[in-house]
Amino acid sequence: MFLIDRIILIGSILVLLGIVSSKLSTRFGLPVLVIFLGLGMLAGSEGLGGIPFDDAAVAHGVGTLALAVILLDGGLSTSWESIRLGWRPALVLSTLGVLVTAVVTGYAAAVVLGLSLEQGLLLGSIVGSTDAAAVFAALRSRGVRLPRRLNATLEMESGSNDPMAIFLTVGLMELIGGRVGLGPSLLGLFVNQMVVGAVAGLVVGLGAVGLINRINLEVAGLYPGLVGASGLLAYGVAAALGGSGFLAIYLAGIVMGNRPMVYRGGVLRFHDAWAWLAQIVMFVTLGLLSFPSRLWAVAGQGLLLAGVLVLVARPLAVVVSLVPFGFGFGVRELGLLSWVGLKGAVPITLATFPRLAGLEGADGIFDVVFFVVLVSALIQGWTIPAVARWLGLERAAESAPPVELEIHALRPVDGEVVGYTVSARSRLAGRLVRHLVLPDGAVIALIARGQEVIPPHGGTRILAGDHVILVVRPGVKPLVDRVFAEEAEAWTEPVEFGLRASARVGELEDCYGVELGADRSWTLDELVRARLGRRPRLGDRVVLGPLELRVRAVDGAGVVERVGLVVRLAGGD
Amino acid sequence: MKLSDFVVRDAIIVGLKATTKEAAIREIVQSLRDAGSIAAEDVESVIRHILSREELGSTGIGQGVAVPHTRHPKVNALVCTIALSKQGVDFAALDNEPVDILFLLVSPPNMPGEHLRALEKISTQLKNQRFVSFLRQAKDRQDVIELLEEADSGTL
Repeated sequence: MFLIDRIILIGSILVLLGIVSSKLSTRFGLPVLVIFLGLGMLAGSEGLGGIPFDDAAVAHGVGTLALAVILLDGGLSTSWESIRLGWRPALVLSTLGVLVTAVVTGYAAAVVLGLSLEQGLLLGSIVGSTDAAAVFAALRSRGVRLPRRLNATLEMESGSNDPMAIFLTVGLMELIGGRVGLGPSLLGLFVNQMVVGAVAGLVVGLGAVGLINRINLEVAGLYPGLVGASGLLAYGVAAALGGSGFLAIYLAGIVMGNRPMVYRGGVLRFHDAWAWLAQIVMFVTLGLLSFPSRLWAVAGQGLLLAGVLVLVARPLAVVVSLVPFGFGFGVRELGLLSWVGLKGAVPITLATFPRLAGLEGADGIFDVVFFVVLVSALIQGWTIPAVARWLGLERAAESAPPVELEIHALRPVDGEVVGYTVSARSRLAGRLVRHLVLPDGAVIALIARGQEVIPPHGGTRILAGDHVILVVRPGVKPLVDRVFAEEAEAWTEPVEFGLRASARVGELEDCYGVELGADRSWTLDELVRARLGRRPRLGDRVVLGPLELRVRAVDGAGVVERVGLVVRLAGGD
Repeated sequence: MKLSDFVVRDAIIVGLKATTKEAAIREIVQSLRDAGSIAAEDVESVIRHILSREELGSTGIGQGVAVPHTRHPKVNALVCTIALSKQGVDFAALDNEPVDILFLLVSPPNMPGEHLRALEKISTQLKNQRFVSFLRQAKDRQDVIELLEEADSGTL
């Protein structure tokens, strides 16, 4: 039997066991990460499987490739909407936040484990980043629904903070090895990682989309490979130029996932499948690499360090990163952001770095890191739904549609297939299809009810819980969205009419027949600034009798560009 | 103040044909003329007044709703009506999305308070999501009228 034959046999058995044991996650809420790690430990030299494996270089290779695949999938399935909501807080968390976590944990590690400060900080850096695979798994596959902004922030943070942790780890190892000193060269390393990684990701991503939409392949099955290879190219280019490959592949994924793309549905499904496979392979391999007996030896110190990380370092990092910048997160939201500081594959993969470099005390660091990750994944990962509920931040889970209809377009086409779930509160429930008022250019293709697929005709009655699938022409989707919108999307702000701030006071007075008590030749910008007596900020309000102006756009020089007009008479809202 | 007091029932449009801002405003004002609320010779002037208010900023308030409005010397009372579109109107709204519900209001110049009260009344009503989603499902003029009466009586 060749070596590869044995690897195929054992590998396939482990992957199958991993897939089967993922049922445990559904049943008991146990994070998949813990299950897969556990499986690897069981299969390892000290477990039932007795597979001898202690090759840190192979584990590092598997971990890196798998993480790249997972990040590509994460990027592909991150919508523009969640980027818009989350990128600002995520950016601070993934830079300053990682630094704070690393320093606090690192200092604690030095004290608890009796390491030198540099070695402690190295350990802190290794566990500094949250794990994309763990966070995506916790938030997506376990059906925890959080407020959208929180969800977006956590996902983006986990996808983009690995470069910072990697930079800190590599930087500290260079520092310990005496190859770079504190100062400009270290800063250069950081800038290089971030900037080169970001540029490579964006450029390769944009290029790939252009290629995908123009190449006109005859075989649909080649498109997912095209996307996958493009992502890995972004990683490779970035890494070759000294940038962060992980950041590059994540950004390339985001770019490709948010552009119209041929055969998009098929591509996404393919990468989702690969990301799952990568998770299993990666965690099982890392589990194999560990030695449970050595973990047991560091249990006390590991627990203490995990406690510092979870209860002190992460909350502090969240508060320091988010509070001073006025992102507007409440105490409960900060609490949840602190709790979802899940650790995962990156720390374990990074913990192989010192081993590969033959650093003194590397084995000890690996064991402690492994233990800390296990504790974090187990305790935090397991309790995220409960904590979200306790903090009152859980949203009702959406029932997944039982069918999905997809048209595989091999050329760019105009039009979409969209599905909606009819809730009990919907105005549509109980109506006949012929009584529905749908926008022009939208037609119901089918209705799925439980196990049944109903081809609709005018006399079909729509019931609550139905999944209605429509074919819509381009541009019509926003109108259809409104028809199927949940009533819960209440309009909390008063209705505002738009006004450009270069309009004159006189024009507004003439329009509404009111006196604003200001020079008629003033612009609204001048009026707002005079009344505020300071530099205007978004959301500032100026009350002028029955009218209220709200600042809606300010340019870089502090000039108001647009205001909203709210009518406020006595007794109004 | 009740919506049904100043909404001209005979001018309500279900199935607006226009898809641009100016054409939509024109179609609604012409409907008000056909209902006898605006004199034929004033149609162009009313349209110009409304468009000049739009030049200060779009009255497309987002979520598919627009409330074009103006004061005009040739009307004697509050004149308002509702138009629903199945194709969406490009109204340069705040959220840049097409508009499918339009309230158009014209008031006499000597009643600025009433003009604002009507705008406030419409605004308050539009914040009621049931009102807005029911309005979207109105099939004909009668559906809209019944909905306005329900809204006025607070039974919605």
